Amino acid sequence: MIVAEEQTALELRHVTKLYAGTVALEDVSLTIRRGEVHGLIGKNGAGKSTLVGIISGLVAPSSGEIWINGQKYTSLSPITAKHQRISIITQEPQVIEESTVMENFFMPGYLDNKKVIDWSEMRRRAAEILDQAGFPIDVSVKMRNLSISERQLLLVIKACFVEDAEIVIMDEVSASLSQKDQAILYRIIDDLISAGKTVVFISHHTEELLRVCDWVTVIRDGHNVGSVMRGDLDKKKLASLIVGSTNYDEQIMEDMSAMIQEEEAFALKNFTSYGKFRNISMSVRKGEIVGLAGLRGSGRTELMKSVVGIDTYDGGTVWVAGSQKHYRSPAAARDDGVLYLTEEREAEGLIPIASIQKNLTISILPRISRWGVLQTKKEEQLADNLIRTLDVKAFSRKQNIGQLSGGNKQKVLVGKIMAYTPLVCLLDEPTRGVDIEAKESILNTIHRELRKQSCVIITSPGVEDLIKICDRILVLYEGEIIDRFSREEFSEKQIYRAMQGEVIHIDEVKKS
Amino acid sequence: MRLRTKIQLALLDNLVWVLLAVFFIANAFFTPAFLGMKNQLNILYQSATLGLLVLGMGIVMMVGELDLSMEATLAFAPGVTILVAQQLGLGPAVCIFMTLALGVAVGFFNGFFVAKMKTNSFLLTMSSQIVMRGLVLFLVPFSLAGLDKGYTFLGRGRIGSLQIAILALIVIYIIFEFVFHKTVFGRKFALTGGNRRAAYISGINTDRVIICAFVLAGLLSAVAGLVTAGRQNAVSNSMGEGMVMMAFAGAILGGCSFNGGMGKPVGMLGGTLLLGMIDNALNLNGVDVNLVSATKGGLIFLAIILDRLRFKMSADIMHKENMRKLVQSNS
Repeated sequence: MIVAEEQTALELRHVTKLYAGTVALEDVSLTIRRGEVHGLIGKNGAGKSTLVGIISGLVAPSSGEIWINGQKYTSLSPITAKHQRISIITQEPQVIEESTVMENFFMPGYLDNKKVIDWSEMRRRAAEILDQAGFPIDVSVKMRNLSISERQLLLVIKACFVEDAEIVIMDEVSASLSQKDQAILYRIIDDLISAGKTVVFISHHTEELLRVCDWVTVIRDGHNVGSVMRGDLDKKKLASLIVGSTNYDEQIMEDMSAMIQEEEAFALKNFTSYGKFRNISMSVRKGEIVGLAGLRGSGRTELMKSVVGIDTYDGGTVWVAGSQKHYRSPAAARDDGVLYLTEEREAEGLIPIASIQKNLTISILPRISRWGVLQTKKEEQLADNLIRTLDVKAFSRKQNIGQLSGGNKQKVLVGKIMAYTPLVCLLDEPTRGVDIEAKESILNTIHRELRKQSCVIITSPGVEDLIKICDRILVLYEGEIIDRFSREEFSEKQIYRAMQGEVIHIDEVKKS
Repeated sequence: MRLRTKIQLALLDNLVWVLLAVFFIANAFFTPAFLGMKNQLNILYQSATLGLLVLGMGIVMMVGELDLSMEATLAFAPGVTILVAQQLGLGPAVCIFMTLALGVAVGFFNGFFVAKMKTNSFLLTMSSQIVMRGLVLFLVPFSLAGLDKGYTFLGRGRIGSLQIAILALIVIYIIFEFVFHKTVFGRKFALTGGNRRAAYISGINTDRVIICAFVLAGLLSAVAGLVTAGRQNAVSNSMGEGMVMMAFAGAILGGCSFNGGMGKPVGMLGGTLLLGMIDNALNLNGVDVNLVSATKGGLIFLAIILDRLRFKMSADIMHKENMRKLVQSNS
């Protein structure tokens, strides 16, 4: 892809975005030239999505200027963005499921002939566009009958050919595409560029960025730490730009490996679910904390959900305390002391209209009752203790959990697991979307309290949280464990590269 | 928490009883013959059937579903039982058992399809309501009189001047209040209704809870059927017609919500009594029957609005209390 002409399509000058209490972006300047594919990458929480929001008109910057085609804006609205022919395709494809491909294409305007929808013209145009894009699909099929990958690709085609956007923003679009559809995506991008359009390409995969983009901009902690031409980059250099030089080694919490006991509490052997993860083997001892590092879609959530019986699996075995198990519901897993903390706090974790106390004791109701009658005193004491240990900032244990802040809600979820004193804890992103103080408090609790009677398997949106508390880290890539790090070898950069699919220690993986 | 805040919150939580008290006092002054013991017992007696349906509906709403078939079960269970009993000459104890068992069976049928097949409870229970009502209209042409004394005891029997039906209503409400307030079994209903997915992941067998809710609703409908049959000393094919809407009204007045997770039996009893008292007071004042029904509709509207206001008010009270606490800790 050759940059046809050195002309600026979109430019940000000294853009800052403040949210209550935090700086999401600070003095970010960025130039995107016409006819290039501009990559954006950064860790979770680096400020990438705020940046994308500003460009697409969904977020108004606190200060700074946006220049499009030589015109200055202090903020964009979705309408001005549309007017300037900027289209965004989001991570999760948003379609109207009950409508056909062609209707989704021409929504909301439709094609009309004197206010009457012209179906035959719509069909003809849609088929023509799909033909042009090289994606053979029947235009009168309902969206409901298509896979996520196909829906996503259709939205890309809509943005590129129907809306005829000058600047197309693709926010982690390839994450939900199948390999075949990815190839089509790359071809579409090529076509766009040769037609002089501009693409902003966001991805978590360094390899993909280096293949697709002409320039890559790295965002870290709300700053633009460099816009680099592809020729000057390789995977290693990119990884170090993304991770930065912050030394998390200093923040590693004290070594608690003395608490690790001999007995194996939990093991997986060749655990497999087709299309999600395969041949996962691990053995975790009591008192041990094992981190699962991996990008979204690497199979970590799917793995945990399969273990506790929320999802099914196809092969391999689960071992708990030395005996083989196959859980068909979370209730069965819980009865053996295997508890799962969901990454979807609001949708799957909390009962918002119930009190903190009721949320805390939901998994241990039989234990705080006698002959089926709840022992109120016992329950209240237990709730008060947990609220104190976790430092939940709440009015009283009777307050509805829906009224708490994100960090405090998350503390209650961790407390719910602690209340059970489980044998195996599967914690899926327990630090997701919480403030720094709550994060520290949650990590501390896991590190010092939760491991006393249990073994912990934990994932996190960023490697740095895992490095702080884990005894070992396993790296998942496309559903397989491709690398293992022991505590002495922890390095954010190395683990980050492993998450991208690079093999850091070949020998050890072969050995195990 | 200050005492004042506590009282405010308690009043908001039991808003229906506040309304009931206000309504009671107003009528005590303005409606002749309202205050007498006989009339008060009459209100309770007239509310017995509805009270059982409100409780059943409230339980189903607690788990986030609804049951339109209750009013048909009310006629179906005793209707089929008495038909069979007349053919085979069954005793009253067997008849009562069979009525209750039919109620449970209908509830299980509804619950099974809603929980296991994930059917929409509105559509499913609407269909079972139509089926059962149709069957009753076909099988029980007009009405079956001449019931055994044992069978009608619940609806007709009395100790002194106190009807057994009133006693039964109160005992049943006390039992369910205990179950939902104090037992593990009862706690699971509101948790399931509050967020089914989260409850499931936390290890609650949500399918079983939903089936139990429908079974209880079926059982309570059958009991309501016994009361109604006893009261009119016959089983007729139109028993319970149109009552399901009033059951909704009572449950919503009593603090239940269509989103599930809310409601307690004490509130539902309050909702029932409020509806019963309005009926009674308007009748005593000689208001037209159709206008009474319109008034009840207006009351439901009021309940829905109050429910939203209550939510906002309790949040406001909490907020004020929080502010007060902060100011106190700073000074």
